[in-house]
Amino acid sequence: MQYQSSLDREGLIDLALNQYFGNVDKKELGAVLDCFHDNAMITVQTAFTTHDGKANIERMFVDFMGAWETIVHKDFTCTVDEKNGRITANFVAELVDAEGNTTVLHNTNFWRIRGDKFQEVYIYMSGENPLT
Amino acid sequence: MAEINYEYYVDIVTKRYFDGVDNYDLGKVLDCFHEDAVLTEVTSMTVHEGREAGIRAMFEGLFDAHSRIWHGNFVHTVDTEGEAICSQFSVEVTPKGQDNELRYENCNRFYLKDGKFTRVFVYMSGENLLK
Repeated sequence: MQYQSSLDREGLIDLALNQYFGNVDKKELGAVLDCFHDNAMITVQTAFTTHDGKANIERMFVDFMGAWETIVHKDFTCTVDEKNGRITANFVAELVDAEGNTTVLHNTNFWRIRGDKFQEVYIYMSGENPLT
Repeated sequence: MAEINYEYYVDIVTKRYFDGVDNYDLGKVLDCFHEDAVLTEVTSMTVHEGREAGIRAMFEGLFDAHSRIWHGNFVHTVDTEGEAICSQFSVEVTPKGQDNELRYENCNRFYLKDGKFTRVFVYMSGENLLK
């Protein structure tokens, strides 16, 4: 579906990288959820897993943040379609568990923005899905 | 060189690249790439280097293995400033000698220079077809 976005190029990048990933890495759940509309949807496309609505998205992030000691997203390359309210980023995710084991993923996210928040998010992963 | 417009990116992906793939037109497909282009299937970290070497061989293998290939349901993220287009789409393929259709929900990231692909990254929702 096509949505009307109110964000310009810099606003789209700030939402995706700073407000979203910046707060995921800090495990600031409230700030992460503020990026989403109540009826937003996250789909991990490579695993055919969908989290529909903010309550399910919150549950997913609670589990994800609890499962990893440290979460780092870095090395972003953004593709920004300001005209259509879409942004894509590929990045490296480094996840370290309590035993010190590191999982490294090379992922790509697609975000579709309605107004100034995420309406749809699609994630394509290079490895096993940790967003269950 | 003047900035290439939005429509160009959508057209090279849909009307040239994927139309060439779906119609087994190898020349049309390879014409979208620079000679030193690299195509990486990220979900299995398979790298195909060079238009006339790795990429040609990959498509010959894909065409030989399937009696039907279709790409559709596209949603594009086009960045004319960054010379890139990222596309989400569905794929249907039928392996040769079989009746069963395989369905994938994939995405590609295309990075261009002077209107042709330099780097392409593919994510597949199932088993890698681009071996």
